[in-house]
Amino acid sequence: MFFNSIAFAIFLPIVFFLYWFVFNKNKSTQNALLIIASYYFYSCWDWRFLFLLVFSTFLDYYTGIQIEKGKSEKSRKFWFWLSILVNLGFLGLFKYYNFFASSFSELLNSVGIKASPILLNVILPVGISFYTFHGLSYVIDIYFKRIKAEYNFVDYSLFVSYFPLLVAGPIERATHLLPQVKVKREFNFETAKEGIYQIIWGLVKKVVIADTCAPYANAIFDNYTSMNSFSLIMGAVYFAFQIYGDFSGYSDIALGVSKLFGLDLLRNFNYPYFSRDIAEFWRRWHISLSSWFRDYLYIPLGGSKGGLWMKIRNTFIIFVVSGFWHGANWTYIAWGFINAVYFLPLLLTKSNRNNIEDIVLKRNFDSVKVLLSILSTFLITCVAWVFFRAKTISDAFFYLKRVLVNRDFSFQYLDNERYSYELLLLIGLFVLIEWNNRNKIQPLSGKWSMLKVALAILAIMAFGTFSDYKEFIYFQF
Amino acid sequence: MKKFLIYITKIILVTILIAFLLDGLYTYIFMHSNNRGKIEKVFNSKDQKYDVVILGSSRANNHFVAQMFEEKGLKAFNYGMSGGHLFEASLMLKLMIERKYEIKNVILEADLNLSNDHQAEGISALFLPYIHNSQIIKEHFKEENDFAELYYLPFYRYIKYDNKIGFRETLFAAFQKKTNTLDNLGYYPLVKHENANMKNNIVNLNPLIHNKYYEEIKSICKANNINFIAVMTPICENTKGMNYFEKVKKVYPEIHNYENVVIEDKYFSSCGHMNDAGARIFTAKILNDFF
Repeated sequence: MFFNSIAFAIFLPIVFFLYWFVFNKNKSTQNALLIIASYYFYSCWDWRFLFLLVFSTFLDYYTGIQIEKGKSEKSRKFWFWLSILVNLGFLGLFKYYNFFASSFSELLNSVGIKASPILLNVILPVGISFYTFHGLSYVIDIYFKRIKAEYNFVDYSLFVSYFPLLVAGPIERATHLLPQVKVKREFNFETAKEGIYQIIWGLVKKVVIADTCAPYANAIFDNYTSMNSFSLIMGAVYFAFQIYGDFSGYSDIALGVSKLFGLDLLRNFNYPYFSRDIAEFWRRWHISLSSWFRDYLYIPLGGSKGGLWMKIRNTFIIFVVSGFWHGANWTYIAWGFINAVYFLPLLLTKSNRNNIEDIVLKRNFDSVKVLLSILSTFLITCVAWVFFRAKTISDAFFYLKRVLVNRDFSFQYLDNERYSYELLLLIGLFVLIEWNNRNKIQPLSGKWSMLKVALAILAIMAFGTFSDYKEFIYFQF
Repeated sequence: MKKFLIYITKIILVTILIAFLLDGLYTYIFMHSNNRGKIEKVFNSKDQKYDVVILGSSRANNHFVAQMFEEKGLKAFNYGMSGGHLFEASLMLKLMIERKYEIKNVILEADLNLSNDHQAEGISALFLPYIHNSQIIKEHFKEENDFAELYYLPFYRYIKYDNKIGFRETLFAAFQKKTNTLDNLGYYPLVKHENANMKNNIVNLNPLIHNKYYEEIKSICKANNINFIAVMTPICENTKGMNYFEKVKKVYPEIHNYENVVIEDKYFSSCGHMNDAGARIFTAKILNDFF
């Protein structure tokens, strides 16, 4: 059940009605309904993986309590590592086993030892990377005594399985969501209205931007050997907007839906393509994942407290692991590595926190510099996206090489029976709207909000793509 | 909560209003367009007279050289639609009759397309802008599963088939941007491709014993005194399951088998489609045998 499907358009009002009119006695009934709805929502993909979700939830719930109750450090450690190993074990089995098995076999073959890997014929349970990370952060926080264990299984289950965030985040923290789940939610008109704004804007990003860019990006990446420089540049730009529209659109819808139920989720995107350097980009892109890795990997590894080499090592670890989190393919690792390389000069010159404040443009030379830095950051981000999107690393290199050596900048007719330049106007318009709203959380809020909502609905209906592409990219992670 | 319900009602009403407005605008544009495709050309015309009308899929569109009919003094047009099935060919003929066309001969390409009687969504969608303005189109779609949504929900058909009749197509129609579909009297010549796939496998294909839309075309022709000529057109020789054409002949003895009129690969653009040279040999044979 996708957020942009008819099924969800029926599901959401039903759950909303039951939540506020039938199950509104207390927080327990509210939570119970949300859990039932979440499990139903999840089972619409594959009901068999519901058992895995429930098991994973129970494991972290139980080990969390055992860690807190543990009298000796040994016992606490035991339950802590049990949870970590089982969680990562499931993730490794479903997501990474085949990758490691085939990579190891290729390595053996390359040194002359014949090996054929035993591969598992399993599909990746949707959302496993997201709910595993929910559970991990919860257990780690209890182990380090940052939070108390949750003794109410329904409340804890809701924290892990809450349907707006279940399959593609944002990756929530127990410190943020659990306290909200512990109290009865009262309906608030302004919050709900904000939720509607966010859902509609998320749909604009998804069906007008992402799904419209997708067929163009696919046509270019799938036939890159016959594309000219202009088409290849456009392919990278289209993919950049596809993945941004797709994932930030999903996050907006998730946050908006959650607001309808009175629960606030972590913000996941903050206009990342207006970043002035790559460090700022990572503070604005997939914020919940970046901060997760910062808090649960980078800081435990020593963060930026140690010497220079330690800082460099930790930077590369966090970016490569972040890339690998996206999928079991060398292309994602390369994408993470490239971002670490981008980050390195900022780290070495201690300028990674230079661009913290909001962007303000005036009629002076500094503003030109700001615009150029935004453009150059977008450019290098697009280069990295080529690795993310390409099927193999060598495809990505050949793609980029062809951009440089082909030097033909004419318009090409693509496989999707469209010209390579056709979306430039749409993207330009979208960038202008985003720029105008860059300091807002809700682009549709404020003055003339009803008119903005009407225009957004008009855009969804008239410019949206409904027949070619539907899925959300991040569901595969 | 009351305020919120009022707010949501307002949004729903705005959505419905936008849907009605867009539906009206898109339909108006399609109703006034006649240089983008064969369907709108027929829909926005009337009282045409033809000696020969050619119907079928791409194997009609790419195989019958309409100019060769004209050179023989026969007014002809190739209404074959690439990607189309007999569902669309039948509807096209019905539309012509509704538009009071006078047709002497219909040549129907009836071979591989006899194996199904479903609509080809990519092509049938092109009829949908006119669904409220043509009883024939409405009736033709009535048995389809999503007829109610397509007919009663404003703008739904434009959303469902946005890549065919969505914003882009509507914009081009509004600006009267010409396509090459109507060039060469509807015939679309193909060129020889060096690396074309010259293999095909139709072993599992079987003609339907009673193809609803084939029978429909036959009976429309009969009712309107139109001479009905059904033909099977050539396919490359490296095709597995060539006995399909014999199976067709068994079920529909009136269909003329021209599958083996052109054989050599040099006359094909791909296995199922002849190039211009092949199409001219084939058309000459048809002209010689029937006209």
